[in-house]
Amino acid sequence: MSLTVIGVRHHSPACARLVGSTITALRPAFVLIEGPADMNARIGELLLGHELPVAVFTSYLDEQRRHGSWAPFCAYSPEWEALRAGRECGAELRFIDLPAWHEAFADRDNRYADAELRYAEAVQRLCTEFGVDNSDALWDHVVEMGPAEQVGQRLETYFDLIRGDSAAGTSDTAREAYMARWIRAAQVAAGDRPVVAVVGGFHRPALLRLASPAGSPATAPSASSASSPSSPATAPSAPSGSSPSSPASPIGGAAGDPGVGDPGEPGWPEVPEPPTGATAGSYLVPYSFRRLDAFGGYQSGMPSPEYYQQLWESGAEQAARYLITAVAARLRRRGQPVSTADLIAARAGAEALARLRGHDCPSRVDVLDGLASALINEALDVPLPWAVRGTVTAGQHPAVVEMTAALSGDRVGRLHPDTPLPPLVHAATAELERYGLDRAGEHTTDLTDPYGRTVSRVLHRLRVLEIPGFRRDSGPATGIDPVLREQWTVQQHPHRLAALIEAGGYGPTLESAAATRIAQRIDDAGGDLGAIADALFDAALCGVTDLGSDVPDRLERGIAVAGDLAVLGRVLAVTLALWRHDRLLGTAGSAALGVVVAAAARRILWLAEGWHAPGAPADRERIAAVVAVRDAVLHAAGLGVDRTAAVEISGRIAADRAAPPELRGAFYGLGRSLLDEDDPAGLFPEPSEAVRGAFTGGAAGDWLAGLFGVAREHVLAPGGILRLLDDLVGGLGADDFLIALPALRQAFEYFPPRERETIAEELLARRGLGGSGRDLLRMSVAPQTVAAGLALDEAVEERLARAGLITVGRTDD
Amino acid sequence: MTVTTTAHVQRPPAEVRYADELARLRAADDAPTPPGWALSLRAARAFIVGDEKLGVTRKFVGDPSLIDRALVSLATSRGLLLVGDPGTAKSLLSELLAAAVSGDSTLTIQGGAATTEDQIKYSWNYALLVAEGPTERSLVPAPLLRGMAHGQVVRFEEITRCPLEVQDCLLSPLSDRVLAVPELPGDGGMVFAKEGFNIIATANTRDRGVNDMSSALKRRFNFETVFPIADFDTELSLVEAEAGTLLRRSGVTTPPRRDVLEVLVTAFRELRAGRTARGDEMERLSSVMSTAEAVSVAHAVGLRGWFLRGDAGTAADLVSCLAGTAAKDSPEDLAKLRRYLEQHTSWRNGPQWRELRDARRELPGG
Repeated sequence: MSLTVIGVRHHSPACARLVGSTITALRPAFVLIEGPADMNARIGELLLGHELPVAVFTSYLDEQRRHGSWAPFCAYSPEWEALRAGRECGAELRFIDLPAWHEAFADRDNRYADAELRYAEAVQRLCTEFGVDNSDALWDHVVEMGPAEQVGQRLETYFDLIRGDSAAGTSDTAREAYMARWIRAAQVAAGDRPVVAVVGGFHRPALLRLASPAGSPATAPSASSASSPSSPATAPSAPSGSSPSSPASPIGGAAGDPGVGDPGEPGWPEVPEPPTGATAGSYLVPYSFRRLDAFGGYQSGMPSPEYYQQLWESGAEQAARYLITAVAARLRRRGQPVSTADLIAARAGAEALARLRGHDCPSRVDVLDGLASALINEALDVPLPWAVRGTVTAGQHPAVVEMTAALSGDRVGRLHPDTPLPPLVHAATAELERYGLDRAGEHTTDLTDPYGRTVSRVLHRLRVLEIPGFRRDSGPATGIDPVLREQWTVQQHPHRLAALIEAGGYGPTLESAAATRIAQRIDDAGGDLGAIADALFDAALCGVTDLGSDVPDRLERGIAVAGDLAVLGRVLAVTLALWRHDRLLGTAGSAALGVVVAAAARRILWLAEGWHAPGAPADRERIAAVVAVRDAVLHAAGLGVDRTAAVEISGRIAADRAAPPELRGAFYGLGRSLLDEDDPAGLFPEPSEAVRGAFTGGAAGDWLAGLFGVAREHVLAPGGILRLLDDLVGGLGADDFLIALPALRQAFEYFPPRERETIAEELLARRGLGGSGRDLLRMSVAPQTVAAGLALDEAVEERLARAGLITVGRTDD
Repeated sequence: MTVTTTAHVQRPPAEVRYADELARLRAADDAPTPPGWALSLRAARAFIVGDEKLGVTRKFVGDPSLIDRALVSLATSRGLLLVGDPGTAKSLLSELLAAAVSGDSTLTIQGGAATTEDQIKYSWNYALLVAEGPTERSLVPAPLLRGMAHGQVVRFEEITRCPLEVQDCLLSPLSDRVLAVPELPGDGGMVFAKEGFNIIATANTRDRGVNDMSSALKRRFNFETVFPIADFDTELSLVEAEAGTLLRRSGVTTPPRRDVLEVLVTAFRELRAGRTARGDEMERLSSVMSTAEAVSVAHAVGLRGWFLRGDAGTAADLVSCLAGTAAKDSPEDLAKLRRYLEQHTSWRNGPQWRELRDARRELPGG
């Protein structure tokens, strides 16, 4: 019984080659692969003959946690090569890792991420030692570009160095213990025949230790019975039965290899069952190179799938040539000039770099560096993406964008037609039938009625998943729309099934799929607040309250880069309303919305303080943003909206001569209303003083618009500023008054008609005049006539004054 | 005139400072050497990124691949143009490259508004010119001509600060590798560049950028952008080491406080990138927030602490020093700095951040 454990890096052509040749040479009884053990009964599904890349998608749902993760395979995945070569030589295939829904994967979206990145220190040391920028360049240098003969040995050394003496984290320890149990069982079952295990290189040293006979006292008793692979013992946990949401299992089992997945056999580890009340399911979905390349940070695996596909298919020389040709073609298609001289320089540069770095032919980074030297003749704004490791960020040079796109490739996988349909298709069909939505026609849903709301949610989830044939004709457009009914048109559409299969990658039920899709939209939105707001509103309409644990962080990041005060204000107002009140859509108190409220309030305060435009006319939307902040401070203090900070910032903006007048007024109002009368630091002068200051500035109307928009109670309150305003307006010259008039009108529009009437009455009373204030608000003649009358008065007064008959400029009070 | 000893010289050139390292590298160098080069590409690279086995120190903190590309550019027929923000050690890198490739980093042209072709190519000893006419004896070679004649690397600092027409005199030396001296009769009138000649130019992106460069000249250079140090810990250690050296030289015996330096480097990095660690976007300062500036702020903080109170300098000192060094005299930058201290210090943990926030009134005009 010989055991060969091949430690690989996932998605590495060199490792895949090693796996293929080792399995072909050893012809083992068992090929054990790091992969979800709950798929063992359905390994046959993987081997139906798909166009790669494909992935096993696993979703998990319980009351606390929702999780979806992928195990992607491409042609040059060592795991895939193990499946292929193992089947070719008749070995039995087993996945030996914990299921993807297991707690050990709770923070992972990509099963085949690079484990060693979590232990970065050793990697960093090696990079410095070899003088390379990052772990990808290091890997190419040590493994992919090295001579093929001793690749196994180099891999062992590499991973031993990385693993070093560092203890693995708890999740890695749990996985290693589980995988070791499978290896021990397989060794027993194989008898004298060899066993090959293909696992992440990071786990290899631990697995060798754990799987050695000394580490497995339990193997001996079960050795005799383990040789019959088809023991009919009752399965403690048949994977096919473990997931109620995966009706595909029986079909997959039928297509599988004989003898695969007999977890009931003595000695074989049991496959963990999802806890009671939880739903977990795994199924195959088509994948794409673009998504393979899009994992970032700890989730990432090897970048540049198209390059490695070329490397796998036709070797390093060809791959380098492909890269230069592809980049040049892409750039020329985009109209960027790429001269022959540039290409010669790029090629020569790549060759020279390869020689300098000790490669036989140019590696990925050599070619990229050569291209960058030759094609970029400008200063770059951000470092080259292959030097810092990570996804392409904004601000990249167009040539760099094309280079990374060419490396990434646009291959999209396709499943074999016999692949069992993902559970979403069945779930969606069942829901459509249940609510009578499977026939074409028009539907009206009443959001106040629980049944109508359920139907509406089903339809919205389909809409969010972009399943064709479901169109909403009318309904609420924002969170504070008083529309309570929706009109839908349902049509039979030829692409409905295909769309549902594709959407199956997002989750097994409409709800979980819609949640994943919305979370992805939030991720894609970046700093586009409109898109974020739409996504959140869609989440409310779909009845999705929990978008996943990392969405609040992403929302916060998205809002932290937003730059438009007006849009932020709208978003804050709507989210705050949804967060405070909305029981209809069930969003009141939602955590995601709470995050948006706090982050948006903070961002508005930051942006407002930096806004410098002393003479700018008043902007209602900016005032509305301040109003939204006021409401957030008053009603959402528990979310982390900092009242003290808001007051301090208000004080600074109100006093800042460079700020636009309406913001100064609005923040003056905000500060006063937050502090009430309690202003020990003297941040805010008395209203009378502040108003006088505004009138001397010449932008009184704009300033007042800001104040009235946020805190108009100061005008009508006893001892308010109405008298003062009256004096100041009365003191304006006729020309000045006409200039100030539009802004003043705008300012007083913040008063509802009833309050305007009160103001009018007070003004009348002040002048000792009788009559109704309401009449004063209605003008019976055109404004032009009034203006002409005013001008006439002015002219007459002027002449009288010139003749010495009156003195102007004094109001007799 | 060549400097051969470090005695009494404020700052000897790299080939003198690191003469022993260069000698060791040359002795151990068994890789093929490009024609006209003093070292092989690999040895030249080791000189800059360091080689523990040979006792060669790391002299430039940055991506090793940048050095690779720069060296390969110098070995090809294009010049090398290092661009980047001020204070990113472009000039140091160009000095190290020249020392490694030619063993001499002193063929330097300092670009400026008043730079003329004379200072780049050649001029005349007018007494001899009048006495003998134009001869090789009366010719006074400038760095470019000397570099071409002897096959050495010529450094051109701040090339974009030169007038456009002056920059363009590099065109034919770079493409045809020849410099005409029309005054000289016969063969002397054409100076053909020897193997080993190339040009390393530097330009900073703040002053005038590289947009003022003719595209003909741009085409003859390979551009390499030098970025501020990407890694927080690396930058922190560098600031700590450099500031420590400066402080010792100024007679301060306590080393700078690590937590204060952490705050300083964090603030510099965030103000430079226009983005906080949490992801808030903000305007960048218009003054340069380079590592070099961070070192000088750290130095100033240490001096204040030591000579005013006898301690290592506090976060409050940092605020006063930032105002002078970082915000210079720009009121906008001062306002941005104030907003940063007001709004982006409260959410962080650690007493030093609280100290920094409490000291924000130290800013002038606060």
